Amino acid sequence: MNITQKITKPSMEGFERTEYDVAGTKTVVYSIGSGDPVVFLHGGATFPGFEFARSWARDRKVIIPHHPGFGESGDDDRINSVHDYVLHYLELFDQLKLERFDLAGHSFGAWIAAEFAIEHAHRLRKLVLAGPTGLVIKEHPAPDFFKIRATELPEYLTADPKVALSLFPEEPDVDFLVLGYRETTSLSRVCWDKPQGNRKLGRWLHRVKVPTLLVWGERDRFCPIAGASAWTSVLPDPRLEVIPGVGHLVFEESQAAVEAAHRFLAE
Amino acid sequence: MPILPSTEFLVAHYMPYTELPPEEASRESLWVDIPNSLFDPKKGHDLYGRYFHEAVLAEKLGFDGICINEHHATASSMMPVPSLIAATIFAQTSKLKVCVMGTPPNMDSPNRLAETYAMLDVMSGGRLEIAIPLGTPMEYWVNPVAPATARKRHREAIDIILKAWTSREATSHDGEFFHYKYLNVWPRPYQDPHPPIFIVGSGSLETVDLAVEYGFGYASTFSPIAKQLQALDYFREKTTDSGRSVQPNMFPLTVMTYVAETDDQALAEFEAHAKYYFDFLLRPGEFANLPGYIALDELRKRGGHVLPKSHGKFDWNDLQDFYRVAVGSVETVTNKIEKWAEEVGSSRIIFEVHTGDMPHWKLAKNMTLLAEKVVPELKRRRDASGARTEAAE
Repeated sequence: MNITQKITKPSMEGFERTEYDVAGTKTVVYSIGSGDPVVFLHGGATFPGFEFARSWARDRKVIIPHHPGFGESGDDDRINSVHDYVLHYLELFDQLKLERFDLAGHSFGAWIAAEFAIEHAHRLRKLVLAGPTGLVIKEHPAPDFFKIRATELPEYLTADPKVALSLFPEEPDVDFLVLGYRETTSLSRVCWDKPQGNRKLGRWLHRVKVPTLLVWGERDRFCPIAGASAWTSVLPDPRLEVIPGVGHLVFEESQAAVEAAHRFLAE
Repeated sequence: MPILPSTEFLVAHYMPYTELPPEEASRESLWVDIPNSLFDPKKGHDLYGRYFHEAVLAEKLGFDGICINEHHATASSMMPVPSLIAATIFAQTSKLKVCVMGTPPNMDSPNRLAETYAMLDVMSGGRLEIAIPLGTPMEYWVNPVAPATARKRHREAIDIILKAWTSREATSHDGEFFHYKYLNVWPRPYQDPHPPIFIVGSGSLETVDLAVEYGFGYASTFSPIAKQLQALDYFREKTTDSGRSVQPNMFPLTVMTYVAETDDQALAEFEAHAKYYFDFLLRPGEFANLPGYIALDELRKRGGHVLPKSHGKFDWNDLQDFYRVAVGSVETVTNKIEKWAEEVGSSRIIFEVHTGDMPHWKLAKNMTLLAEKVVPELKRRRDASGARTEAAE
């Protein structure tokens, strides 16, 4: 492996790793940088890594917890709804002594962030939802994640499948397969039977009374851009940033997306 | 050592739909999303007729029972509702037991399943046996049960069925997945307190634990001999630890069997159907990869694959060497069965008599040779050995 390949692979080098016990569940939190805190909630898999956080960390402290059932955090099969994740994070944020902070999330993490904001908007300054899932949009249904074949996954993740493929191991890797299976299992506890999201989310999104940036890949096949207006029509203070030519993994595919979110948080 | 005194001989028939157009051979999967436009109801009707006739033949030839299974949305089985198959077989027979192996209880309303089985037991005068499977990964794509909850639901559903069958007055159930204000099966089972129960497993120790905990038998699915023996050792050890003893009928010996005049002829007549079964009917494609279905350490043991990579691939040498496949002359098959029955210590032998797209004449030949040559020879050797033992005393 040459050095260039090493740099493009996700790495947690330079991040600080801390373990917390949240009501009995081991919760690993990575952080990088210093400044006003922004918490980032990852999507349904941790393999894409968190390279984008290095850009945000220029002037912010970026806090990245692994969800229970994902990455290096522990498992708890009693966490089987987004609301359980919201309560888990409520406890973690208390432990982290985060009073008022910015919250960002991608994909499934954006769903958790949106539900957190519905219930605890008073603790948030700003909200970033990137390629968010969770809102059921009848006119523009999202594909059922669980039905996507492994071989088709790269073309769903990024507009150029090569970008997603570069995040996968080059050789078959049992650890990678087992981690993916575990994370998909954790995700399935929440939404196997509701892959479109929470049917009640739209009923309550008006409570997200904080400035909210939607970062959306123009060619996102997981959450088709056609659904963006369903979010902006119910959020009280939304702004939509469409990233041209980019798919679902906006922050891995596009530095412009990373910078757009960073700028919004800096305003 | 010969077979055990009270040995029972059963056949297994999986009743596949065998009339798929040959050009479908290249399909990635024969499960879950295979269009039912490929199912010709008239041919299906004829196949049912044939298969029921074969079940009746099993009784006429003197077999003790027939095992049937349940699979969904697949050409590999025409039995998504095996209780209907059992009811039909019971109506056409008078002595044959039917082992329904079976409906995953977490996919049904457990009380309704308890009622269905109780009805079958009463209607048949106590000829029902059941084996409880978790279901293959493929079943979960076509049933409304989140696979990550499958095992917990499975356990709760079994509790409900047992409670419904053993209570002689109205009871209730309030659990994590199911709630019944009143649980009260009418009719109740003919057998007291209920039909014999086996747990179906492919060797995962989690499943063996379940069988041991409930004191049920353990029925291995088609899995390598080494894995079956490992499961058996574990089953014995755990059952003994729990203060009970393993009965010889608790661990059935299931053998894919084909008997003909000679070994060569048997293989020649059998091979194409085994190929059809393994290469074609069993091919699950990506649907085997079901999140939440197995424990992570088990997944790791399997190299990151939910079903073994051999699933859906025919390899005759591999089958001969590692699986319980007895294909050959009467002598060959008898010897193998005798050896394996001893190895397992089982008094319950299940012959898988129909493989893949085997035509009726071969199945009839196979079953007839089993019933008229192999089984009598197994019994003759046992009796001869018994006589020797007595003479020596």
